[in-house]
Amino acid sequence: MTQTVNNNRNSLGRRGRGVVGDRTFLIVSLIAGVLVLAILALILLTTLREAWPAFRYSGTDFVTSATWVPNDPDGDGPAKAQFGALAFIYGTVIVSIIALLFAVPISIGIALFLTELAPLRLRTPVVTVIDLLAAIPSVVFGLWGIIVVGPRLVPIYDWFHDVLGDVPVLGSVFGKPIASGRSFMTAGLIVAIMIVPIITSITREIFNTVPTEDKQAAFALGATRWEMIKGAVFPHSFGGMVGAVMLGMGRAMGETIAVALTMGAAVQIVPNVFASGNTLPAVIAQNWGDPGSELGRSALIACGVVLFGITILVNYGARIIVRRAEVRMKGAAV
Amino acid sequence: MTTFAPSAPARESVPDSLRRASLSRRRRLTDVVARSLIWLSLAVAVVPLGLVTYYVIAKGVHVMSWEFLTERIPRQAQTAGGGIGPAIIGTVVVTSVAALIAIPLGVLGAIYLNEYGRQSPLARTIRTMADVMTGVPSIMMGLFIFIAFVLLVGEKSGFAGSLALACLMLPVVIRTSEEMLRLVPDELRQASLALGARKWKTIVSVVLPAAISGITSGALLAIARAAGETAPILLVVGLVYRANWSLFGENTALPVQIYRNAQEPFETAVDRAWGAALTLVAIVLFTTLIGRFLANRFAIKER
Amino acid sequence: MNRNVLTRRSILVGVALATLAAAGCASKEPTTTPSGAANEFASLSGAVKASGASFPNAYYQKAIDEFLKVADNADVTYNSVGSGTGKKEFGQGLTDFAGSDSTVKDTDGVASGSFYYIPTVAAPITVSYNLSGVDSLKLSGTTVGSIFGRKITKWNDPAIVADNPGVTLPDKAITVVHRSDGSGTTNNFTKFLVAAGGPGWTLGSGDSVAWAADTQGGDKNTGVAQLVKQGDGAVGYVDFADATASGLKFASIKNKDGQFVAPSLDGATAALAGAEVKDDLTYNPINAAGAATYPITAPTYLLLKTTYTDAAKAKLVKGFVRWLLTDGQSFAASVNFAKLPADLQQMALSQLNKVQG
Repeated sequence: MTQTVNNNRNSLGRRGRGVVGDRTFLIVSLIAGVLVLAILALILLTTLREAWPAFRYSGTDFVTSATWVPNDPDGDGPAKAQFGALAFIYGTVIVSIIALLFAVPISIGIALFLTELAPLRLRTPVVTVIDLLAAIPSVVFGLWGIIVVGPRLVPIYDWFHDVLGDVPVLGSVFGKPIASGRSFMTAGLIVAIMIVPIITSITREIFNTVPTEDKQAAFALGATRWEMIKGAVFPHSFGGMVGAVMLGMGRAMGETIAVALTMGAAVQIVPNVFASGNTLPAVIAQNWGDPGSELGRSALIACGVVLFGITILVNYGARIIVRRAEVRMKGAAV
Repeated sequence: MTTFAPSAPARESVPDSLRRASLSRRRRLTDVVARSLIWLSLAVAVVPLGLVTYYVIAKGVHVMSWEFLTERIPRQAQTAGGGIGPAIIGTVVVTSVAALIAIPLGVLGAIYLNEYGRQSPLARTIRTMADVMTGVPSIMMGLFIFIAFVLLVGEKSGFAGSLALACLMLPVVIRTSEEMLRLVPDELRQASLALGARKWKTIVSVVLPAAISGITSGALLAIARAAGETAPILLVVGLVYRANWSLFGENTALPVQIYRNAQEPFETAVDRAWGAALTLVAIVLFTTLIGRFLANRFAIKER
Repeated sequence: MNRNVLTRRSILVGVALATLAAAGCASKEPTTTPSGAANEFASLSGAVKASGASFPNAYYQKAIDEFLKVADNADVTYNSVGSGTGKKEFGQGLTDFAGSDSTVKDTDGVASGSFYYIPTVAAPITVSYNLSGVDSLKLSGTTVGSIFGRKITKWNDPAIVADNPGVTLPDKAITVVHRSDGSGTTNNFTKFLVAAGGPGWTLGSGDSVAWAADTQGGDKNTGVAQLVKQGDGAVGYVDFADATASGLKFASIKNKDGQFVAPSLDGATAALAGAEVKDDLTYNPINAAGAATYPITAPTYLLLKTTYTDAAKAKLVKGFVRWLLTDGQSFAASVNFAKLPADLQQMALSQLNKVQG
């Protein structure tokens, strides 16, 4: 009863169409995967190449000088074009800091709510709300910020300025508000709303990895819920929270359109958060239509390179920290 | 086993030290304050969403009409009337082509990561870099496509916009698809292989269909994000006032129209911006909600 | 016929057809008269693309709309991308003609001697302000220079009070609004500040300058207009068309002859009449002499190639520009632009006749 199972060797043999199919599929999917690396590398290479003329022209002044005048010499204008992006780097950092100051406490609060406090039936609606917040396009936030929020915040800024104006250090931070409301602070607030979802979702994942035994142990020792959070959740999650915050910072730094609309483009480095400024991505978006010259366009791309470098570093570091924290947490829970 | 007959209610026999009242006032207060702050943070997050939705709807509804959705964009911002028809067409064309590019590539990449590469160094690098790529500012994609494509071809086009959006969508689709593929039980694969199917056939006929709802929902979320992007389109797609259904030649899109009209001093232009914002938010929220619905309804539950 | 921006393939087909048509109709072509009858333009066909300055954009769009009613077989597109990009695209051959508020420099990418300047219209640049309770404002050149140079920071500063006898000015901070993007409007406005702004203005002139701290930038003229409109105490420079359409208040500026003149089309035409015109038809109406001139008047030009290799395009371009300089001038006022004075118009027409193709 020896029955030839199959003369066709495709199903069990090592040769034939099947192997070719396997190999092709493997190669095709490999290429698709490697595409990610290729695109990242290409972004770096192409932007660097296009930005090189501007870097060579300005030298280190590009990142140390705050004078940005992309003119062609115009007779009675400045002697030659100057590209100093320090004001934009400053703006990017300040807006991110303001955004984080507001977003981090809120995000941690929501994450705690979802993991510790929420009754089960509230959990899904809240998650939906956070997802909806993440889905709203940044240009809509910008429109809302520039038309509705900015002008309405000016009286509040005025109040802060009146109250704190004479205090030594705070006075210069809370200086005279600009009339339209478009400032570091307004941009920071809008960006804060936009980065809450990402910080919340990652922090929530981190909080979920806290071993239940630790929480129960805290309760068994008589801790209140807050004390349990302080004693069991936070110490475990600290690394992950740092990573989540850094991811939020990366997102805040890269936010272009909402900032371009709500910041009131001004090239200056001032401590006054109620004054206008500009950020690296916003200046690219605003000037891309007419950079003035080839060198001007190259300088804008150079701003992009600086931004790319900063955000890659922040994102990469954040992912490493989060992954390491998750591994440690999951490992401990097993 | 002796039966335990409960006598008096347990409450009366609870020792004093375990009652809530025995907590020091300071500890109780801290707990209450902390809980309130947590609830407050929830409110603080919900309020902006409510406000934005309210304003977009309230102000956008005024201009909304069939004419608004289909008529041409006026060349001069202060002209009353007209509509944003070309922008809707532009958004649809550019985003759908971007999806057609990014989703197959993303799913294939996810297949590599989960089925072939697993934990190999290359796969781990790709995984980390895909995560990093989701954080790259969208304007960088615009710059990249401008240099690599627009400068080469010589003109801005809707296709360039699609390429830029596809670059943005790719890492998101890869990561969400990989998560979905990971959830497919190994037994399915093993059964298929045992029945004599090749690996590629297994993936195509068994694993993918099992994960398809999750992959679809991930794809829809990526599409929703791409439809709302402004910066890359601003850089590489140009501007038109009449509908352009083709991929060649300049085009426009809803986010760009909102960006431009938001900075105009004319009431008609700002109204147009709110109307476009309402349309865009409706499209994006609709797509997001469908994606979420699919994910919840048909998800393979984690074992 | 498809009126969208054409693909390369369709442009080739269109040009081929147009060349055939032109060759076929050459013998029947009527001689063109300056007061061009409508049928002169109706025979024009094909499509031409242009880009450039945003300052005259409102006029060019209106002109195109009206021209296409007369020449309904043709298509003209003007993209307002800014003078710099417009000149560059023109130099690269991507466009058939360009609009520019500023003259061509070596770095603009346009070979000298390969183009002609054609003046088309002009318009005032207003100093628009938003100050509750103050409905008319007079500013001398030096005051304007000091305001935009941030030497004067409050509305009730002595210099402004001196310019406005009898007007009570509030003790409010001045918010200076400028352009966030490079612009020919900034170029012309800062040229005025260099000429008449006095010691308060030290930043030179150009498409962008290093504005002082505590100022704000808006995107394009309309963005500046929006910022001025939104802020009480704001002042900024906006082109006349956009400022009027936005309902802003303008300041009357002291001209070279010492008269305070409000921005108006008549003031602009007077400035053009008082300006010195060079051989290549560039002129400078900024701070021009004359009692009724408005001193911040901006010129704008179209750049046309000296020779067009494509006969059909040459015909359409020349036809359009000729229409612009004749019948088209009557539409200028409706969009708040000043038409050319008669002698400048004649010079422009004879310059246009030099275009070969």
